[in-house]
Amino acid sequence: MRVYIVSTLIGIFGINDRKKVVYFKSFGNDPKKSAEKFKLSQIDFVDEEKQSKIQLGKKGYREFIFGYRKPNEKNIENNNIGEKFVKDNLIKLAMEKGFAKTPNEVTQFITKVTIQLTKVHIKKSVTRDGLIIQVNGALEDLDKSINVYIERLREWYGLHFPEINRKISGHEKFIQIVSKYGKRENIKENDLQELINNSMGADLKDEDIEIMRVFATKIQEMINLRESLSKYSEKVLKEVAPNLLNIIGTTLATKIIAKSGGLKKMSRMPSSTIQLIGAEKALFRYLHGKGKSPRHGIIFSHPLIQNSKDENRGKMARLIASKISIASKIDYFSKEFKGNALKDEINRKAKIILSKK
Amino acid sequence: MKEIFPDVFIENNKIFTKNLTPGEKVYGEDLIIRDDIEYRNWNYTRSKLAAGLKNGLKEFPLKKGMKVLYLGVASGTSASHFSDIINKEGLLYGVDIAERVLRELIIHAEKRENIVPILADSRLPENYSSLVLEKVDLVFEDVASSDQIEIFIRNCDYYLKQNGYAIIAIKSQSIDVTKDPEIIYKESLKELKKHLTIIDKVKLDPYEKHHLLVVLQKK
Ligand SMILES: C[S@@+](CC[C@H](N)C(=O)[O-])C[C@H]1O[C@@H](n2cnc3c(N)ncnc32)[C@H](O)[C@@H]1O
Repeated sequence: MRVYIVSTLIGIFGINDRKKVVYFKSFGNDPKKSAEKFKLSQIDFVDEEKQSKIQLGKKGYREFIFGYRKPNEKNIENNNIGEKFVKDNLIKLAMEKGFAKTPNEVTQFITKVTIQLTKVHIKKSVTRDGLIIQVNGALEDLDKSINVYIERLREWYGLHFPEINRKISGHEKFIQIVSKYGKRENIKENDLQELINNSMGADLKDEDIEIMRVFATKIQEMINLRESLSKYSEKVLKEVAPNLLNIIGTTLATKIIAKSGGLKKMSRMPSSTIQLIGAEKALFRYLHGKGKSPRHGIIFSHPLIQNSKDENRGKMARLIASKISIASKIDYFSKEFKGNALKDEINRKAKIILSKK
Repeated sequence: MKEIFPDVFIENNKIFTKNLTPGEKVYGEDLIIRDDIEYRNWNYTRSKLAAGLKNGLKEFPLKKGMKVLYLGVASGTSASHFSDIINKEGLLYGVDIAERVLRELIIHAEKRENIVPILADSRLPENYSSLVLEKVDLVFEDVASSDQIEIFIRNCDYYLKQNGYAIIAIKSQSIDVTKDPEIIYKESLKELKKHLTIIDKVKLDPYEKHHLLVVLQKK
């Protein structure tokens, strides 16, 4: 005799060929436990199912049919008649089997189980590439802040030593000078001595300069933090996207995973989409009949594209995007390392592009 | 406070529903008390159904005790007002594909007890059939994707009761940015008519640009 063993949010049902309930074992009345069991029953046997086989075996059933794949179980039928019958009648059946007294009680319980189930799904949805998305956001925020603060420091320190701004255009160097020396008279850099001696900046009190130094030090700390974030991102990338990391480096790999919304989504994108990530606005304008069709988005920062002549950039962008796409697929599905082969291939094809006139 | 539809109120041009969980806000909306009853302001710049009401929707099928399937429920800005209206006897199955937004919804679902949050892709209605226990009285869709009409019809086929209602917020920009919204509306309505009967429709401008809200019935 055949019997369908059906897993539901409230427990396990056994349904015979004539759509009669011949077995029921509830998962109990703790919504969290029920959710865990229901979830588990979709990939493995839960105790209630093992029991059901024993009990139903005693009643003479020999053929057990399941709706979900189970280890070492041959009889799997998705959407079988037993499952459909239970789904359509769950509220009624739950009451008949004494699980609850009113339909409302059943739905209330099931609502709670589903909430628990969704909580589990959300918990599981946090994958390590999700961390990359946050790190990328943090990097973007930091970059904006660092820029704003540097502008402020240059204005501020400019009251005291305006000439330094043109001379020292590198921001980090500028910050180091301010935080290290403070007053312009204390600066030990040789190439600044003449500017210092002839400065038109105001002579300020020690306390006026001291607070600028504090500010400069904080900016330096933010720059250091940026460095740590980037190193951290590289570490995570080695783990989750080694191939991508190998062919495009930390900065670009971080950005592109983040802008794609994660490795999973990225691995499903056609390479033409990847090519234009970050160029959405230009694409939008183009679709509205304004402007040219964009050839590349953030992948533009890849040296092979950036350093190419204008007429080669489109081809180069297509090449890089297609390899990025392949790398993301390998990273998502297998993580087998093929980074060097991919890199060689990029270089080989890039040469061909460059050799044609 | 004037009741314009059952359990939907208006005062000074603002729309309100009775708060199912007094004292609790969902998205920063104003709470006001009239005759000992707490009402929540239903912000028509944040919610498409409220924008529809604002623009003179005549058919408003959502009622107390209804079972609702809501596709694209997000963090529950609109769904919380649905939850107020259907009340304890009703139930709202809220489907969304994004974990991030459901995280917020769950917090309210646990308090309100009439919202079932479901993490799933509404393109595949059969995937949540073990969670949606019964056919529903109303299907609402606000998913903003290019195949939104297809998704809507598929879910109505699968889950909507005979004579049940269905409401869709059509976003022309999601279907095709390059086409004139009017053409998209026309094509969409033509497709919808093959499956359901249109009983009302209203544009949502200026509250939601390029959106058409359509109320239908399965006859
Ligand atoms: C415009 S928002 C909905 C806002 C919400 N209706 C409100 O008024 O509070 C669209 C939602 O649809 C969801 N969505 C998009 N495609 C979906 C799909 N295929 N299945 C389920 N949800 C989807 C998005 O994650 C997003 O949360």
